[in-house]
Amino acid sequence: MALIEIDNLSVTFDTSGRRVRAVQEVSIQVDAKASFGLVGESGSGKSTILRAICGLAPITGGQVRIAGEVVKSPRSKAFSAQVQMVFQDPYASLHPRHTIDRTLSEPLAIHGIPDTDARVMTALADVGLPTSFRFRYPHQLSGGQRQRVAIARALMLKPRILLLDEPTSALDASVQAEVLNLLARLRDERGLTFLMVSHDLAVIDHMCDRVLVMQHGRAVEELSRDALAGAQMQTDYARSLFAASADRMLEGS
Amino acid sequence: MSLLRVRNLRVTFDTETGPVQAVRGVSFDLGRERLGIVGESGSGKTMTGRSMLRLIRPPGRIEADEMRFDGIDLMTATETQMRALRGPRMAMVMQDPKYSLNPVMKVGAQLMEGLRQRDRVGRTAAYAKAVTALNAVQIRDPERVMEAYPHELSGGMGQRVMIAMMLIPNPDLLIADEPTSALDVTVQAEVLSILDALVRDRGMGLIFISHDLRLVARFCDRVLVMYKGRVVEEVAARDLLNARHPYTQGLLNCLPRIGGNRGPLPGLDRNAEWAR
Repeated sequence: MALIEIDNLSVTFDTSGRRVRAVQEVSIQVDAKASFGLVGESGSGKSTILRAICGLAPITGGQVRIAGEVVKSPRSKAFSAQVQMVFQDPYASLHPRHTIDRTLSEPLAIHGIPDTDARVMTALADVGLPTSFRFRYPHQLSGGQRQRVAIARALMLKPRILLLDEPTSALDASVQAEVLNLLARLRDERGLTFLMVSHDLAVIDHMCDRVLVMQHGRAVEELSRDALAGAQMQTDYARSLFAASADRMLEGS
Repeated sequence: MSLLRVRNLRVTFDTETGPVQAVRGVSFDLGRERLGIVGESGSGKTMTGRSMLRLIRPPGRIEADEMRFDGIDLMTATETQMRALRGPRMAMVMQDPKYSLNPVMKVGAQLMEGLRQRDRVGRTAAYAKAVTALNAVQIRDPERVMEAYPHELSGGMGQRVMIAMMLIPNPDLLIADEPTSALDVTVQAEVLSILDALVRDRGMGLIFISHDLRLVARFCDRVLVMYKGRVVEEVAARDLLNARHPYTQGLLNCLPRIGGNRGPLPGLDRNAEWAR
């Protein structure tokens, strides 16, 4: 049984008389400890899928199951202990007036987990931040450091699943490399399952085993990593996406 | 004669803890070509771009041995002369449409503002010009976009609106500061081909600022690689893969590649001799 099962998921927003069908009947299965990527242009609904999983967008059709259980609305505490999300913009996703310490301790307080002190220190060390950063505010950190804090926060409850919404697209190339390395290391150490959204095919290829190409809220094509690297896509849209990433190929291929 | 000539450009910020040099002696020439400036955040690439337009506010100071645009000395030009240059002669596309467009003004009004105020163009003519500019950047329903507020546009649309706005006065030099960083690959390719066509058809000079070395290499003729306010290497784009400087190589190798080996990506070694 797959750890994340999404069956015919639809998300429809009603805004001022206009119906926006952000996601239409998309199905995804992600096995435990696997990494699955979602790619597509903006507005293709890839982020909406992540948001629907954790209850930030309404599920208007279909089902989302985590470890065989249908998710409840509102999401339970048990859900947030299993599934956590890292957002795209580290400038917007951390509370500007909370210290790093407060940001990291909050999930522990909500879930009544003791040993806050030691856990915060370990969390900082795990994501490669000096413990002296503990009482700083987000504006005192660089973009890469903030994203490390966001990852540390997501891992405070020791979840099995991380939903990653463009975790590195706001970062410089060199900082992106550091954050991707960090994510890969944490995944290996903790046996995490990733569901990752990116518009950068190379990032998805680097991190994921399987990838779903999306357009206009619909699934276009699912590819294995080998099929992606070997350019064996069946649909024109997936091929055009691949062609637009030409400068991301390995030399000589 | 080159369009732009810069010699020993320095940008200094006087802070409480003493002067901080954001740009430390940058020199280059630009013809009617595509020049890329690449570096990480904080390398001074944006400050270099803004200096060309003298758009650096106090406490920042611009100093240079020479900074000349089409024969005009930019260091001694008066503020009135600079105002006449900005827009019609040299324009800049800023990084983020969210912060660079007026949020409470319709896109159409913003596009027409310059034409109406500066060029004293009539309303109908200005509207027609604005729609043409939107068409030029591949916006398919310009009439709707003209009536929209910036928050009603997606990132890619906003970016294209900003490019359209800069192109209306038909400048000789366009400085594009990360014009595609916020965009998807498909839209990115579109925006790049728009810029490319402009350089080719209008003979415009383009300074393309980005942190994405591979993108710049694919798109530009020549690349300046900046680190900590200095140009560490200047290479022709086609020779980029043979770049010698360890920083340039670091920037090249830290990007994941499709079909790569998925091992840890090499980081940048910032402790070497050149980093000082």
